[in-house]
Amino acid sequence: MVNFTSKILGNSVSAMTAQQALLANSSNNIANVNTPGYTRREIDIQTRADPMAVDGVLRIGSGVQLGEIRRITNEFLEGSLRAAGAKQGKAEVRNEYLGRVENVFNLTGSGLTVGSALNEFFSSVNQISRDPSNLDLRLDVLQRGEDLVTAISTAYRDIADTQSELDQRVYQEVDSINSIAKDLATLNSFVAQREAAGVSAVDERDQRDLILNKLAGKVSFKTLELPNGMMNCYLENGFPLVSETTARQLSVTTAPSFATGNLPPSLGGGILSYVTFNYGGEGAPAHLDLTQVLRNGEGSLAGILQLRGYADVTNSSPFEADGELVQMASRIEAITRTLLTTVNQVYLGADEHPGTGIHEPSSADLNGNPPPVFGLFDFAFSGTKDADGNGLPTLADLSSTGIPSFSRLLKLGFSAAAEFAAARDLNPTGGVLSVSPGDGRNAQAIAELRTQPQNFLLGGVAFTGTFDEFYNSSVSTIGNLKAASQTEYEVARQAYTVAEVKRDEFSSVSLDEEFANVIKFQKAFQASARMIRTASELIDTIVGLL
Amino acid sequence: MRRVSENQNVRNLVTNALENKRRLNDLSNQLTTGLKVNKPSDSVDAGSIARYQTLIAKVDSYGTNIAQTKSFLEYQDSIVGQSAEIIVRAKEIAQQAANETLNSQSRAQLAEEVFQLRDQFASLANSQYQGRYVYGGTDDDDPPYDVSTYISPASGPAKVRYAFDGEAGTDISKSVKVTDEMSVTLNTPANEVFGSGLEALERLSRALAGVRTFPLPSGTPDGSGHEYVFPDEYHLQTEHIRGAIDLLNQSRDVELIPERVSLGGRLRRLETGQALLDLTKNSAKEVLSRLQDADETEVAANLQQAQTALQASYSVTAKILRMTILDYV
Repeated sequence: MVNFTSKILGNSVSAMTAQQALLANSSNNIANVNTPGYTRREIDIQTRADPMAVDGVLRIGSGVQLGEIRRITNEFLEGSLRAAGAKQGKAEVRNEYLGRVENVFNLTGSGLTVGSALNEFFSSVNQISRDPSNLDLRLDVLQRGEDLVTAISTAYRDIADTQSELDQRVYQEVDSINSIAKDLATLNSFVAQREAAGVSAVDERDQRDLILNKLAGKVSFKTLELPNGMMNCYLENGFPLVSETTARQLSVTTAPSFATGNLPPSLGGGILSYVTFNYGGEGAPAHLDLTQVLRNGEGSLAGILQLRGYADVTNSSPFEADGELVQMASRIEAITRTLLTTVNQVYLGADEHPGTGIHEPSSADLNGNPPPVFGLFDFAFSGTKDADGNGLPTLADLSSTGIPSFSRLLKLGFSAAAEFAAARDLNPTGGVLSVSPGDGRNAQAIAELRTQPQNFLLGGVAFTGTFDEFYNSSVSTIGNLKAASQTEYEVARQAYTVAEVKRDEFSSVSLDEEFANVIKFQKAFQASARMIRTASELIDTIVGLL
Repeated sequence: MRRVSENQNVRNLVTNALENKRRLNDLSNQLTTGLKVNKPSDSVDAGSIARYQTLIAKVDSYGTNIAQTKSFLEYQDSIVGQSAEIIVRAKEIAQQAANETLNSQSRAQLAEEVFQLRDQFASLANSQYQGRYVYGGTDDDDPPYDVSTYISPASGPAKVRYAFDGEAGTDISKSVKVTDEMSVTLNTPANEVFGSGLEALERLSRALAGVRTFPLPSGTPDGSGHEYVFPDEYHLQTEHIRGAIDLLNQSRDVELIPERVSLGGRLRRLETGQALLDLTKNSAKEVLSRLQDADETEVAANLQQAQTALQASYSVTAKILRMTILDYV
């Protein structure tokens, strides 16, 4: 008899302890309802095995006992959240920066774009052929020419600046990847220590998942959980970023030790940087160029590297890199080069005199002077511009200067309205120029260029078409790139939201559920308390019998 | 069973409200700019939009050229018209003078008017338009006909002569592009319009005044100022007056009328060009408007809808977030 009463007491006490523990767990869940990365937890409770049979027959049970505390998490859901995060990180950065490049080609009809400036310039030159000595019309040509030069150099600089900003972001992203890797290694050691000592490491694991999600937005990686609870983290190509408690580092360098040959220049004139992998960890020398590997992955770093363009050490021109920024900048540059060569050649009306191989200009300005070789469109450069000295501006002359991109340096070749060479030489035999002030044939020849197909060089492939057609195709190109990146971003964001919802469905705290549990646990606690009173009444009854 | 946690609830509501707000913002942007395409990525037709924008700007610039050219050519039309009238009047006088019922004194009396006609004719040939000599070819900063003199007679209008300066560029016509495909000649060299007329007037007036002009029909005039010896050379004077009539006819038939026809032709081409440009511009504008302009009614309706949706998401958010099991336990 007495055995049973003490059993009642023992069971009830175990239950009250257990319910209190459960309530405490609920209170922790509720407290962390808004904590980022928190996964709801459950305490396993189990029946306590009865060591012996009462009366030699009945094993009634000895109440309840607390088991382990469990994080309600699913590695598969976490993995797909990370994958979605990586895609979103890449799509977001691409969409943001393509949006900036797109502004260069805006369609609002107000403001200066390369397209509108080209059009205005040719229109203005055409007007001048009506009355070539009219200074108002000449001033208009000067103004429109300056607008065109400004439009081109601004457009190019905007894209080049975007590239240098992306290069800055490469440093930032690599810094934060490195610091996450270090945190991960530290957390690995905590988890392993706690769990080896039989203590639960739920908080550390929550932390670890949280920073892995952060890392996923930046770079794509794979994880492998070891039996000791540590999480190894491998980059796309299998390089271990974190193995157990060792964090290896990425670094950014513009002059890698492995480089041989030219360093690839950037659109802004600097040197493109490489992301390298350091086996030896922090401070160790760079061992391997990872740029290509990272760029083919996901995450914001991949997005940045893709947009910025990848060039290897054999490239000497910024346009030999691929990537959307380079693609759009090279379109502006193609316009610049056509202005500097074809348009200048027509402007000079260069004749080749037999035997000399020298092209003498056969056009003249209002003062009767011939224009210089880069007379209509020029570039800021102190060295020799006409390298072969034959009086004809050609692509070969441009490449002899060693300047990678001319759009930033573009300027007008004349500074006064009277210096625009609208007239053609009247002297058919060459030699001394003879011009008349009302002659606008040279201006007309320039104006004709608007409707004639030109060659625009895009990385060795020529686009043949008029200036308008070429510019409009550039508008289509950036429009399609941006629209595609927008769609990509929206899809990625949607996918990320779905992955978050899936994860939350499984892991995040529901107050309804917690409160229902609280009531349940409270009732159970009250019931157990009531059992103690019952036991006490039983004892009282027995004592009363005495 | 699907669990719906607090986080999810809030996230969904916020996402929906933000999405609705973004839509509202887009639509109000469209309404304020009047454009549904502001950036290349707003439409797959971005390239076409850029093309039509350029086309319209280009057409406008060509339009300026056409308008300016038209008034220039119309001005020339009136010059050629006045010149033709001078030739008609000169011919009347010449025919009257060629009649041998007139003696040499009477002929001399007619000379005065012809000298005036000649001066007028020369000043028409030296007409300026906006400060440039119309018939100077590309050499339009000095008059195509310079005033020079004969050695003899020593004074009077018969001493004055108008010589075509023939400087470099005077024989080159100016032209201008008025559409992508069409160029229009702006002027004709002075000697091709006024050459015969001026020479005819010179010879007629001098003959009437009693001074011979050698050699005939053109070239450096004889400066000797050889006067007709009357009565022996009276018939020669008549012959020279008749010769001048032939030249006057030539001026009319070979120079002035063809020039006028050509001006008419060029003006008609300008009209055609303008009509084509208008057509191009109108259709370009129509297409551009269809591609780029926001349909205000539609946008306004969508805006209303987006507003309602945003309000709905706000009120749902407010309602759901207020609900908690705590109110019931």
